[in-house]
Amino acid sequence: MTVSTFILKNALRNKRRATLSILSVAVSLFLLVTLLVALREITTPAEGAGAELRVAVRNKISIANLLPAKQLPIIERIPGVESVTPFTWFGGKYKGEQGMSFAQFAIDQTKLHGVFGELKLTPDEFKAFEADRNAAIIGKITADKYKLKVGDKIVLESTVYPVTMEFKLAGIYSGTPDDRNMFFRQDYLDESSGEKGMVGMWWLKVKSAEDMPRVLSAINNAFANTSAEVRAETERAFQLGFISMWGNIKLLVMLICSAVIFTLLLVSASTMSMAIRERFRELAILKALGFRRRELFTFILAESFGLAAIGALVGVGGAYLLFTYGDITKMTNGIFPSFEVTPRIVGIGVLVAAVLGIVASIMPSIAVAKMSVTEGLKTLD
Amino acid sequence: MPFNPLLILFGAIVLVIVGYLLWLAYTIITSPIPLTYNFKSVIIRWRSTSATILGIALVVTVYILLHAMAAGLERSSANTGDPRNIMIVRKGSTAESSSIVMRDQFKLIQYLPQIARDEKGQPIISADLAVIINLPRRDNGGEANVTMRGVSPMGMELRPQVKLVSGRWFVPGKREVVVSQKMAARFTSTDIGQQFKTGGHELTVVGWFDGGESAFDSEMWMDADEARSIFDRENYSSLLARTANTNDAAVLMQRIETDKRMALRANFETDYYAEQTTTAIPIKFLGTFLATAMSIGAIFAAMNTMYAAVGARTREIGTLRVLGFRRRVILASFNLEGAILAGIGGVLGCSLALLAQYVCVAFDVHFGTLSFNTFSEVIFQFRVTPGLVLQGMIFAVVVGIIGSLLPAIRAARLPVIASLKSV
Amino acid sequence: MVCILFSISLLSFVAVENIVSIRNLSKLYSQGEIQVTALDNISLDIQSGEFLTLMGPSGSGKSTLLHIIAGIDRPTSGECRVQGIDVTKLNESQLADWRNQNVGFVFQTFNLIPVLTAYENVELPLLLTRLNRSQRRTQVEIALDLVGLADRARHLPKQLSGGQEQRVAIARSLVTDPALLVADEPTGNLDSHSAQEVLGVLQALRSQAGKTIIMVTHDPKAATFGSRTIHLEKGELSK
Repeated sequence: MTVSTFILKNALRNKRRATLSILSVAVSLFLLVTLLVALREITTPAEGAGAELRVAVRNKISIANLLPAKQLPIIERIPGVESVTPFTWFGGKYKGEQGMSFAQFAIDQTKLHGVFGELKLTPDEFKAFEADRNAAIIGKITADKYKLKVGDKIVLESTVYPVTMEFKLAGIYSGTPDDRNMFFRQDYLDESSGEKGMVGMWWLKVKSAEDMPRVLSAINNAFANTSAEVRAETERAFQLGFISMWGNIKLLVMLICSAVIFTLLLVSASTMSMAIRERFRELAILKALGFRRRELFTFILAESFGLAAIGALVGVGGAYLLFTYGDITKMTNGIFPSFEVTPRIVGIGVLVAAVLGIVASIMPSIAVAKMSVTEGLKTLD
Repeated sequence: MPFNPLLILFGAIVLVIVGYLLWLAYTIITSPIPLTYNFKSVIIRWRSTSATILGIALVVTVYILLHAMAAGLERSSANTGDPRNIMIVRKGSTAESSSIVMRDQFKLIQYLPQIARDEKGQPIISADLAVIINLPRRDNGGEANVTMRGVSPMGMELRPQVKLVSGRWFVPGKREVVVSQKMAARFTSTDIGQQFKTGGHELTVVGWFDGGESAFDSEMWMDADEARSIFDRENYSSLLARTANTNDAAVLMQRIETDKRMALRANFETDYYAEQTTTAIPIKFLGTFLATAMSIGAIFAAMNTMYAAVGARTREIGTLRVLGFRRRVILASFNLEGAILAGIGGVLGCSLALLAQYVCVAFDVHFGTLSFNTFSEVIFQFRVTPGLVLQGMIFAVVVGIIGSLLPAIRAARLPVIASLKSV
Repeated sequence: MVCILFSISLLSFVAVENIVSIRNLSKLYSQGEIQVTALDNISLDIQSGEFLTLMGPSGSGKSTLLHIIAGIDRPTSGECRVQGIDVTKLNESQLADWRNQNVGFVFQTFNLIPVLTAYENVELPLLLTRLNRSQRRTQVEIALDLVGLADRARHLPKQLSGGQEQRVAIARSLVTDPALLVADEPTGNLDSHSAQEVLGVLQALRSQAGKTIIMVTHDPKAATFGSRTIHLEKGELSK
């Protein structure tokens, strides 16, 4: 028997206690990882390919205010601008549902590929979208959720415009960071709503990264002191602006994560302390046999690290496997289009487990250090 | 009627659980083992149980605080409006900012006989324009959407719960704005006398108001026609009309709803706001989800603590058996002890939640987030209701009972002689 | 108090007979793959009012015999009658009730509940009866008085010496007024002075209260307090 097998046998002496400790650690770490991933998904804007070259232009008053369509030719003429499309929020309710479960936007169908290059459709689907006035394309996630296929009729009641419009599904797209949205034609919207001449936003692509700063200031200046002043910003800045509207939520989730970590440390540390206290007898015998305090500390630390490590394997590993190979989008009914467990998050989970292993061994180590051999041996009876 | 096997299984499980709880309650009430024994046993082992108690307390606190946030959000909606007022918006619109009421529709409606009149004979009705504007937050918190409400001169009278606390109301025809005091605390350039720019024009802040813990606490008000000019709007968003009695109210609503040309809908103002609770839903979900997930860890912790207790008191249990105490009494006793342990955690957790609320109220701390209904900032506070405290306690006790069930069974099944010999 | 002792002793003179009758009692159990014979065909009679000492080396089965008589263990075969009732035929619940009323048990390790006071410890067996609080108080005070610890009623076990703890345990074993008292190495954890005290109490209980006492011990000096000594070796009686 070596020292390590001794430690192992010791730890497994009370299998139930060991299992419960491991499970407790695993569950808390799983929860921690889940929270961190969710937080990241909510606060870090997803980057589609081509995002660095995209610009969002909205009414300076707020995104809820519309822009006049006649701004389009002015923007297109700015050097460095490659392709511009309107982007108008429809706010439609589907199938009499109470809330909106997916977003719909009216765009210029001919500019779709130019601005949002990562959006993948078959050539036939692109053609159909450009051919039919009431054509619409929908993201794969939503299509799967409602089991839609090409050719299906979709009826939406707008909460923003006083209309209910009927669309024909021309294609199902994928490849964007958020495959949940529906796109249809701005000209069809203009016609049906009777509100010609206004769009929600402009989205455009610049020719190169060097063009970006010049284009941004050109657009902002072009409409300064008009009745529809604009704010042009990069896609990333735009998304971050959205996120900052959530306000204290990030703080809140941080606080909750702290509470979870604290509870985890507390509970697991106390569990392991209890286990050690049961073994005072053995530790006293070891001390009597001549093992030094340092070696006893090593035993305790090794056991607590071991339990924490296995807990981390189960908890963090389990979360990683579940979120990487499981279809989270389907499970959350589309709330999270992606749920990625980044290496950084795995690292945090492992770090917390390591800290736990150390913290859990502190109290028992102190107790063992202070324990006199005779006192420990007394518990023999 | 189709027999859903899942439903039957679920029903059976619920039945078993309820049955066990009833049996447990009965056994404890008739139990010869005094309650003080369990209490003293929990307290004397405080060093090893305190971690579990604290863990359960945190679970309860998280649950209560998140639900208290949701309750706070719902309350600011529920608390809004005067029961005599009728709110008129476009049919089908869910947010006031996307609703349109035409000028000529306003002209028509304002002289309807069901609308109450003031002593000068003027109809008490306001035509509002609700616009979402984007303003920078204080302390570099980025920018957020804010609801700017243009109101007619009658607007203040129609909303008696809104009171001026500082400065003065705006003068119609001027580019002046009155800001909710709670909003002023969160956004820059909103002190009285300061100006901020929106829609290409500078607006001067002339006063602060208190919305009376209602949705109006999240708004800024100005003159409706000035607003239409600044934001380039021909028409209004909504109408708010006072009626003299419920009869007039009913007739007015009926009149408007049935007019096909106008395509408007009318509600009691209080009903209109009471429906705007969608933002609270994900917060409630988060609260329940987190608390449930954390409580799994807490259950393991309680289980561990109780196993340790059973292990330490094996001889005690054997002695009780020798003295004649039955196994099921020992089972109930230890299960109860787990519940007591968790109950102490629950009390601690509820106290923490109440303390958090007290601190927020005492220091006038409010939270703001994006409302799904208005698409702009909504301000709210924790609201820990007695119902939530009860839920928190039930949560804790359930965790305690589940966690200590297996250890209690083990205690009951300990063989007498071996227990007597144990260390 | 003297009157109470007198009336108790009066009652006990009425029934001078075999309080315990054991016939062909055997206990076998398996420890892993080994079959152990704890008791081998024991037959024994114990008279009411005896102070019987069971002695023998470790593993002789004396504790096993005691446990069976006290109703906390079952034999493999044979019968054991206590006051006419064959305890080997009772089920778990019946045994629990029977023990509560008819046997008092004293352990080597005292086995007091640490979080309860001396009073509460002694009261424990009475909680299983129908007595109300004041009736229980009367019984507890009598029992504590009998062992001379009335002034320590509110003390916790950790505030008592070993000898005092054991005397509280004796009080507990008396409180339901059982006819039979069994003691498993009652002086094993006591110094010689306390041991003497405790044995003296047991003796007094027998001579003045007419209790039948069965004590397991391996201390020959303790055995001198008894009225009869039996030796067990490898599960069999030897003289």
